[in-house]
Amino acid sequence: MTRKTSRFSSFYLSLFFVILYLPVLSVILYSFNASPSTAQWTGFTLDWYRVLFQDRVIVEAFRVSMQVALVTAVLSAILGTASAVISMWVTERMKKAIQGMMILPLLVPEVALGIALLIFFNALRLPFGHVTLVLSHSLFCVPYVYVMVQLRLKEIDRSILESARDLGATTWQMIRTVILPLVTPSIITASLLALAMSLDDVIISTYMSGPRTTTLPVHIFSMMRVGVTPKVNALCTLILLGMFFVVGLSQLFNKKQPKEEI
Amino acid sequence: MQTLKRNILAVPILVWIGLLVGIPLIFVFVLSFLSRDSLGTIVFQFTLQNYQRVFSPIYLRVFLNSLLLAFLTGLVTMIVGYPVAYITANLSTKKRALSIGLIMLPFWISSLLRTYGWMILLGNSGIVNNVFLGLGLIDRPLSMMYKFGTTLIGTAYMLIPFMIVAIFNSVDKLDRSLLEASYDLGANKRQTFFNITLPLTIPGVAGGFTLVFIPALGMFYVSDLLGGGNTIFLGNLINTQVTRGRNRPLAAAFSVAMILVVLVVISVYSRVAKDDREGLFL
Repeated sequence: MTRKTSRFSSFYLSLFFVILYLPVLSVILYSFNASPSTAQWTGFTLDWYRVLFQDRVIVEAFRVSMQVALVTAVLSAILGTASAVISMWVTERMKKAIQGMMILPLLVPEVALGIALLIFFNALRLPFGHVTLVLSHSLFCVPYVYVMVQLRLKEIDRSILESARDLGATTWQMIRTVILPLVTPSIITASLLALAMSLDDVIISTYMSGPRTTTLPVHIFSMMRVGVTPKVNALCTLILLGMFFVVGLSQLFNKKQPKEEI
Repeated sequence: MQTLKRNILAVPILVWIGLLVGIPLIFVFVLSFLSRDSLGTIVFQFTLQNYQRVFSPIYLRVFLNSLLLAFLTGLVTMIVGYPVAYITANLSTKKRALSIGLIMLPFWISSLLRTYGWMILLGNSGIVNNVFLGLGLIDRPLSMMYKFGTTLIGTAYMLIPFMIVAIFNSVDKLDRSLLEASYDLGANKRQTFFNITLPLTIPGVAGGFTLVFIPALGMFYVSDLLGGGNTIFLGNLINTQVTRGRNRPLAAAFSVAMILVVLVVISVYSRVAKDDREGLFL
C-alpha cells in the first residue's frame, strides 16, 4: 500500500469510529450535567443518579429485566448447546432442518414476530409477564448460542472423539468429558451475549410485558418518548457500565479458551 | 434404524421453535383475514378488507416509506461500511483486532441509548447546534430532528455493524493469490479492486444488505424517537394498531405483507449469493 492511501485509510477509519462512539459519549457526558437541559453545561453533578434509585418504577423494571435476562440466558445456553451437540450426530438433512429452524426467528422482522407471539399467547390464555418474556426472548437468543457453540464444535479435532470412542467411552460420556469441557468457554460467551440481548430488547418486550411486569427497556422507551432528560442519561450510563462488565467477563472466558487443539 | 434413532433427538428442538415461531405465524396469517367489531374484539368472519386497506393509497404510502427507508439504510451502510471493512481487513494483526473490537462493541451497547445519543446530538438545544452556535456558523438553531433523514441516520447507525461484519468476512476470505496474480499481470490497485475484490465480495455485501434491510423495516423505536411520527413507517403503524388502535387484524395483514417483502429480499439474496452463503448469520 502506498503511504498516501494508507494515511487516507487511517483518517477514514478514525473518523468512522469517532462518529460511531460520539452519540454514546454524549449520553454519558450529559448524565453529569447539573442543568436539566443540554443547551448548556452548568457544572458537574451526580444528582441524576441519586434520583434514579428513588424511582420505584425504574427499580422494579430493572428487577423484572434482570430476572428475565438471567433465566433466558440459562435456558438459551441449554437449548442452544443441546441443538449444536445433537447436530453432530443427526443426518445431513436433519442438520439442515435444524439450521433452517434456527434462522427462522431471525428472519421474521421483530414487530411481526412480537405480534405473532402476542396473538398466540393470547389464544393460549397465557398471562403476559415473566413466562412470555422468557419464551419470546429465548427465541432470538437460542440461535446465537447455537451458532457460537457450533463454530467451536467444528474446530474440535475429530481424532480426539475417535480416541475417546476407541477407549470405550459411550456417546454420553464423550459428550460430558470431552465435548462439553471444550465448548464451555463458547457457551459462557454465548449466554452472556444472550443476557445482553435480552436486557436490550425493546420491540418484542413491548408486546410481551404484562401490566405489572414492564421491562427496563420498555420503560426507558416510554421515558425517552417524552424527551431528553438527564435522568435517562444517567440510567443509560449505568446500563452501559453493567453491560461492559458483562463484556469484560466474556472476554475473560474467551482468553482462557485454548487456541489450538492438541 | 440407527439414523432414525439419532434424528429423534433433534425433534424436540424443531418442535420447540416450530411451536413458538411457526404456529404464531400461522395465527397471524389467519387473523389477517378476520374481522373485528367496534370494540376491537376479533370476529370469526372471513374478509379481505384488511388487505384492501393495506393497498389503499394512505397505507400504501406507509409501505413505500418503509421500503425506501430500509433500502436507503442498506445503501448508506454499504457505502460507509465497505471502506471500513476493507481497510480493517488489510490492517496489521494487532490494529485489526482493535478495529474489529470497536466495530463489534456497539452490539453490547443498549440500542435505546444509541438512538437517544442522536436526540442529544441533533436536538434543537443539542450538542451539534450548541457547537455551531458557539462557533458562530449559524445564528439560529438548525431544526434537524423529526425528519425522514434523522430516522435514516438512526437506522443506518444502529445497523451498520452488521453490514461491516458481513463485508469483512467476505473480504477476509478472499484468496490473496488472486490479487497477486492480478498485480503480476500488470493491473493497478484500482483495476484489481474493481475486477477482483469487488465482484468476489458481492455475496458479503448482499448478506449485509439482507441483515440490515430486514430489521430496518420494523425498528419502530428509532422512527418514533428520531422521526417523531412525522413520516409513518410500517413498524410504527403495526405498533399503534396493536397497542392503541386495537385493530389486530389490520396489524396482522401488515405483518403478513412485511414478511412477504422479507421473503422477496431473501430470495433475491440467495440468488446473488448462490453457494457462498456463509456470510449470513455467522
